[in-house]
Amino acid sequence: MSLLLEFLKIAIYPGVLFIIVFSLFLEWLDRKIYAHSQHRIGPLYIGPHGILQPFADILKLISKEDITPPHVDKSFFMLAPPVLLYLAILGMFMIPLGALGEPYALLSFEGDYLVVLTITTLITAFVFAGSWASFNRFSALGSIRALLLMVGYEVPLFLCAAAVALDAKTLCLSRIALIQSTSPWFIVMQPIGFIISLIALQAELERIPFDIPEAETEIVAGWLTEFSGKKLAMIRLAHDIELFLLASLIVTLYLGGPWGPMGPSALWFILKVIFVIFLSSILRALFARYRIEQAITFFWKYIIPLSLLQVFIALLIPLV
Amino acid sequence: MPEIEIPVGPQHPALKEPIRFVFRIDGEIVVGAEPRLGYAHRGIEKLGEHRSYVQVLYLSERICGICSVAHTTCYVETAERLFNIEIPPRAKFIRVIVSELNRIHSHLLWLGILAHEIGFDTLFMYTWRDRELVLDLLEMITGNRVLYAINMIGGVRHDITNEMVDKIRKVMDYLEERTKYYKRVVQEDPLMLARLSEVGILSRSDAQKLCAVGPTIRGSGVKTDIRKEDPYAAYDEIPFNIITYTEGDALAKTLVRVDEIQESINIIRYALDHMPSGNINIRVPLRPSPGEAIGRVEAPRGELFYYIRSDGSERPYRFKVRTPTLANIPALCKMLEGVYVADIPVVVASIDPCIACMDRVLLIDTNKGTWNILTGEELRRYSKKWYEKHKIR
Repeated sequence: MSLLLEFLKIAIYPGVLFIIVFSLFLEWLDRKIYAHSQHRIGPLYIGPHGILQPFADILKLISKEDITPPHVDKSFFMLAPPVLLYLAILGMFMIPLGALGEPYALLSFEGDYLVVLTITTLITAFVFAGSWASFNRFSALGSIRALLLMVGYEVPLFLCAAAVALDAKTLCLSRIALIQSTSPWFIVMQPIGFIISLIALQAELERIPFDIPEAETEIVAGWLTEFSGKKLAMIRLAHDIELFLLASLIVTLYLGGPWGPMGPSALWFILKVIFVIFLSSILRALFARYRIEQAITFFWKYIIPLSLLQVFIALLIPLV
Repeated sequence: MPEIEIPVGPQHPALKEPIRFVFRIDGEIVVGAEPRLGYAHRGIEKLGEHRSYVQVLYLSERICGICSVAHTTCYVETAERLFNIEIPPRAKFIRVIVSELNRIHSHLLWLGILAHEIGFDTLFMYTWRDRELVLDLLEMITGNRVLYAINMIGGVRHDITNEMVDKIRKVMDYLEERTKYYKRVVQEDPLMLARLSEVGILSRSDAQKLCAVGPTIRGSGVKTDIRKEDPYAAYDEIPFNIITYTEGDALAKTLVRVDEIQESINIIRYALDHMPSGNINIRVPLRPSPGEAIGRVEAPRGELFYYIRSDGSERPYRFKVRTPTLANIPALCKMLEGVYVADIPVVVASIDPCIACMDRVLLIDTNKGTWNILTGEELRRYSKKWYEKHKIR
């Protein structure tokens, strides 16, 4: 019986099915907010207010012809999309979603924080592998840009992550969230880290102003150019889940995870994720696109010194 | 990394129309650019020789969907010279108003496309929303949104009534506010500045040497505008400034166009205030006497040039068009040298290219001075041989 329960947890809630459905909902939300801030309407036809549009997009892509060009390096080209999807879902398993009032995530152990951060890096590595294997000029340029961009956002993201771990004195995400249920949220003590993480989220997910690796007006679809059909559907889904993953990482680190003053913890978690997505969508509507070297300069000139400052402050806080 | 060649076009998301560039790039820097034109060649000039003067008017309107008023104005001005007639003053003012509305719509559209090229889709949506108002005005005056068909040889087809004047004034007030806002965005938004300033610089001497036209050359500090130098319609009676910026980069070209929207608004207001009353068109004969005429018009993209030759029949003997985009292509290739790959769309967009306008070029083998008609099979063999010779895969 308990085995069945465990299986249901992994397969349905808060496992795979919930993660996929909620990620698709977040994509709809993101598109809707982005559209409204541009005087547009956004998705409208499928479901109430177009809420099923992302689901329909995925279905459409699955039903399309899946082309593997003859010149690609088959192993990596075929491998990249499912691995991306797998990595994103695996990362979500370690986030405490507050499901059923449980304080711990599905996969929770001392050091899962490091695993999640590694997963965010691995995702970029597989993006590079998959697009380099496409042997396409636009993909090659896009993948080089993705790697270069990683040099920019990875360092500050990890520094801020270190700052939180220093103050929480644990490398377990669920415990970091638990600590914040009794003490003030980390956003109060580390506001710089929160802002830097938001910026890194834009870069990691290739959103404006850092949508450089897939800048459509410059290099067509960038690293996505050769992917189609089911593979593209998997990449799209993985991208949505990654959005969910990074937003929930920010919620766990800075906004107190699933813990709120009252009511069910799962609801609090969802509300906070929606808040982060809202901020991210507004950022997306506000800016133009950086050039790649401008983005790197921006990160190394301003963001990395700021995150070093954040680590320094985090070291001082326990002393006060 | 060795140099690689990146083909851009004939179909590419950054180019709304078919043109092909082969960029040789070293890492992220463009070393050379080679354009190839002619994908949208429609044989309009030849068609013009088989139609009556009235029919060619409609043909010329269809050269370009964005600056359609500039094309018909240029055609009718040229044809009126050929027919040797003077049109009523009220018609001249209506031509000015419609031309300037067309310029505002074209510049707003262009600003949106530029914003899209640098990934600033919010500005893209904003400008295109405001452009709708101008299209609504044009629809109110002429009955059409894109191909207005307002000009005719001998005047204009529709009058501007008093109710229309009020509506135009209201929209102009709103647009003036928006233009000020857009100017502030272009000048102050740090990302716009980062992406536009010192990108695709065209020096003053290069601009003159390569015969650039319109906002492209005005952005390099050369004070030239056909509306002032060779006034047509009622431009000689209306005061306005020629906007120039000296930097020559994409930002200067953007600011020239944003300021020109403001100038156009002022011109429209002045024209509405000083519009004389009277007829709006006169009857013209079917055939002009033998002779030739040229006409020049400042289209939104720069100098537009028409040449018509008559042999006394009801059809033009020769009909020739030189559009501003064609004049700007050599300058564009110069601007593209040394820019980043990420800046290619911005630089290409900075001349406001209109490919369908431009592609009426006939390429003749100048060495032999002949051209052959090949069958499909011959053409296939010829192309195979050519590619083998040039080693292009």
